[in-house]
Parts: sequence; C-alpha cells; structure tokens
Amino acid sequence: MPAYRNIRLCSKDCLCLYVCPTGATDTENSIIDVTKCIPGCMACVNACPSGAISMVPGKYPPQQPKTEAVVAAQRALELSKVQQEQMANAIVVSSDSAVTRQFAAAIAKSNLRMAEDILRESGYMLPQSDKVRELLEAMLDNTAPDFPKDAVELLLNQL
Amino acid sequence: MRKFKCSICGYVYDESVGIPEKGIAPGTKWEDIPDDFTCPMCGAPKNLFELIDEAAPSATVSINDDAVHADNTEDLKELSPGEISAICSNLARGCEKQRLTAEMEAFRKIADYFKSKAVAESGGTLDDIAKMLDDDLTNRLPAANVAAKADADRGALRSLIWSEKVSMMMKTLLDRFAKEGDKMLENTNIYVCDICGFIYIGETPPEICPVCKVPKFQIIQVERR
Ligand code: SF4
Ligand code: SF4
Ligand SMILES: [Zn+2]
Ligand SMILES: [Zn+2]
Repeated sequence: MPAYRNIRLCSKDCLCLYVCPTGATDTENSIIDVTKCIPGCMACVNACPSGAISMVPGKYPPQQPKTEAVVAAQRALELSKVQQEQMANAIVVSSDSAVTRQFAAAIAKSNLRMAEDILRESGYMLPQSDKVRELLEAMLDNTAPDFPKDAVELLLNQL
Repeated sequence: MRKFKCSICGYVYDESVGIPEKGIAPGTKWEDIPDDFTCPMCGAPKNLFELIDEAAPSATVSINDDAVHADNTEDLKELSPGEISAICSNLARGCEKQRLTAEMEAFRKIADYFKSKAVAESGGTLDDIAKMLDDDLTNRLPAANVAAKADADRGALRSLIWSEKVSMMMKTLLDRFAKEGDKMLENTNIYVCDICGFIYIGETPPEICPVCKVPKFQIIQVERR
C-alpha cells in the first residue's frame, strides 16, 4: 500500500517532507516515489494537515458474486441505454440544428454514464477482476488490422 | 397542510412554509402553484413530486409480473461493441482512480476502437429514444429492481436508483423538447453530471448533483457546436 498525494488538496505545508523516513515524498513533480515508499508506513498520511495523502491499496478485494437473474436484468437495461446513446450520437452527426446537436450530445453522454454505471455494478467494477480478464482474453482472437491488440496485451500482462 | 417531495432529488415543498424567495407565500396549496413550477434544487417538473403520506409507512409498488420475467428468460447474447466500449471506458476511469496511467490509456484505446464499431439502430430520432426510455421506466428498471432486491444486491440497487432518477429527468426533458423544440435551450445552458449522467438545464449547475450528490465541478457543461 504505497502513499499517494492528491495535488488538488495539497496546500504545500510540507509536513510530509519532514516526517517521511525515506524521502519518498521529496520529489520535484509532487508525485510520491512508490519505489522509496515503505508500504503501510502512513507517517505522511497522518501528518498532512490538508488530508491530501492517502494509501492506495496494492491489492483490491475480489469481485462480489452476482446472480444470473440480476445480471440478466441489468443487461437488458444497460443494452437499452447503450442503444439510446448510439441513436443520440447519430443525431449529433446528422442534425443541422446546433441546439438539437447540443441536446442530443447531452442525451448521449447521460446514457453512456448510466450504461457504464450499470455495467460496473454487473461485475466489471475492478480492472483486476476475473470477468475483465476473461473479456480481455477473448479479445486476443480479434485479428482486425486496426484493433489495438498491444493495448490488450499490456493489460493482460500488467493487471 | 401537506408536504410534497421531489422524486429526483428529495427536496421537500412544505405548504405551511412556501418558498417566499420565489414568491410562493407560506400557506400556498400545492394545487395553487403554477404548472410550470420546477424543483428549485434540480429543475424537475411539478408532476415528479409526490405527496408525503405521513400516515402510511411506505407505498407498495405494483409491477407487471410478465415484464419481470420476460427479460430474465432472454438468452445472454454476446456483448455488443457498444457495451464493450462502455465497459472499457469505465475501466479506464477505474484505472485513473488507481493511478494506473498506462492501463487507463490502454482501456481508452480499446473503448475507442469498439465505439467506432458500434453503429446506431436505424431510425434513431429523439422520439425513438423517448419510446425506448419509456420502456426502461415501465419495464426494464422495475424488473431489474425486483431482481436486485430479491438478492439484496446493494451495488446494483444503488445504480438502479440513480439511473431511474436520471431516466425520469431525461424523459421530462425529451417531452419538453418535443413540444418546445430548440427554444428550450436557446438562452440557457445544459450540463451533464460526469458521475451519474443527470442532465441539468439552467444558467449555472447546482452546488451538488441532485441525484448522486457529487460537487459541481463534476457537473460538466455540454457546448453548442
Ligand atoms: S503535508 Fe500535505 S499539504 Fe503539506 S506538502 Fe505534504 S501533502 Fe501537501
Ligand atoms: S507512507 Fe511513509 S515512506 Fe511512504 S511516503 Fe509516506 S512517510 Fe514516506
Ligand atoms: Zn428536485
Ligand atoms: Zn450525479
């Protein structure tokens, strides 16, 4: 569990520099050096007056089991949202009214956020989960020339 | 004196208090409030308010049983490109939160690829979207709620509450747009919450998202191009 500094919250009080036993917090770009950080130390987290440092988990909890009935019902809803997103995006491309395009863009984005959220809750929450790995592994069969296979390989290696 | 609650954001209109700053005097009855009244917190129209019945503990919702089972018997077909794109764009956001930059970019690349392969169904007018949305609200959402409740699946229930509210608001806006057309937006702005998808129309976004409660820096303006 290395430490991470949220630059949005940091008020440059620099107590983290003072307390850190290894100098991991003393970097030019304000990003804590994870190679120097002692996992679980927490000294900087407790010292920071702005609550700007937190520990990033090294391991994430396993995905909660989901029943088929829930996943199927979520699937029907999420598919509908994805289709509505695509229809709205088509209007963004084809309408000749700028206001209609703007409205359709908002509808498309809203649908995407809903679909993402429902999918997330149907077993794709954590990049490290088995379900995601299965999805990525299935993509290795894709031989289309424009398919970013390198991205899939990177993920399978690193997650 | 009665109270009415906004079903989107939970704002309560109390007849005995009124909303003096909006010219609604204390004691103003709900039926005497103009039809174009909108929720001061989230912009929801008057018809999305519900009477708070203090006597009854909670209303029971009746759902069409056929709808509940119809969706569950459907075969789980392979994920469509649009769905894979949404899964991967969300995983990119997840990696961003875990500070996994290279992984975030990789998921984005895959999401973009599948997005380019996702083609819209034919005949996609705003009207067609409104029809599908109606079907979400009357069938798919209640069915998913029943399934999630039966399993006490807290995560699923949470996401369904959000998407129900966001859907209700979207439906209201689509109906208004069908009547008013471009005039609805000509002299105002439109925002979408980056977390839950809530759509807000007005000069400036609310302080917090009425649905998911994130602060307003996450509520993003949609530009007119
Ligand atoms: S102690 Fe907190 S506020 Fe001060 S520099 Fe470190 S992170 Fe920033
Ligand atoms: S957790 Fe400890 S070692 Fe790591 S940066 Fe903070 S003070 Fe330094
Ligand atoms: Zn409201
Ligand atoms: Zn929100």
